[in-house]
Amino acid sequence: MSATLRRKASLTFTFLSDPNLDVIRRYGLLHAAAGPDGHDISRPAEFLIDRSGIVRWENFTEDVRVRPRAQEMLAVVRAVQ
Amino acid sequence: MKREGRGDAAREIAPSVVEGWPVESSSSHLFLIDYLSMADTLISPAIERRTNSALWYGLLITCIGIATHFLYFLRPPPTISHLLPWINLLLPAIGLILLFVGLAGAFGRSAVYSGKIWGSGVTAIALLLFAGEIWLFEKTRDVPKSAGAPQVGERLSEFTLSDSSGQPTSLSQLFLASADGSQPKAVLLIFYRGYW
Repeated sequence: MSATLRRKASLTFTFLSDPNLDVIRRYGLLHAAAGPDGHDISRPAEFLIDRSGIVRWENFTEDVRVRPRAQEMLAVVRAVQ
Repeated sequence: MKREGRGDAAREIAPSVVEGWPVESSSSHLFLIDYLSMADTLISPAIERRTNSALWYGLLITCIGIATHFLYFLRPPPTISHLLPWINLLLPAIGLILLFVGLAGAFGRSAVYSGKIWGSGVTAIALLLFAGEIWLFEKTRDVPKSAGAPQVGERLSEFTLSDSSGQPTSLSQLFLASADGSQPKAVLLIFYRGYW
């Protein structure tokens, strides 16, 4: 996502891109050939990490139509803090 | 012989009525009419036509099944959204079963139930729709198990990736104080699929 597009959508959180799928692959999140042209993409995944780098919560959907809502994730964030 | 019911009474009367045809006696004649009217509707002159409700309910449930796809956009609570893919599949299946029941009635007892033509058309469309639902269900749930992914309690290994302005950003940098001076207690990492 470009900086302009990010500003336009008033999104203040950090967007990171993984064009070579390095981190996606390292974290075991690769969904092989799932892109429209048959490229490898990331599977949907959400992690909550505390200050010491420990995973406190995670979510791996079984169905790409079913994703956690922002409210659901914010509730988890509040519970951890 | 003791009369136990209309059936027995009719069985006693009927042979004599047939043998003695044409029947002169008015009381025997009444019995003959009585006997014929209680027989199967197939030989009754006025057949009662009934609404083929199985076909109509099948059509209705199939339509509701299609409509449930729009529920994703209404942001349902998590419990419902997890059930939605199953509802998307189940309702068209129930609709299809009802349509088949209705069709069986329309073809098997066509004198009573209508809907041979429209029922066949609707069932054919519903069958195609259901095939599409199965395809969609398989396609959207074809997500790898990700058994090798980091588990709760594990430490996430450090990474560095470019942000939207091209600045290399590491995981530990995300924990640094933000512009307003507050220090984040946790970071929520969302791996976005990129394609819906």
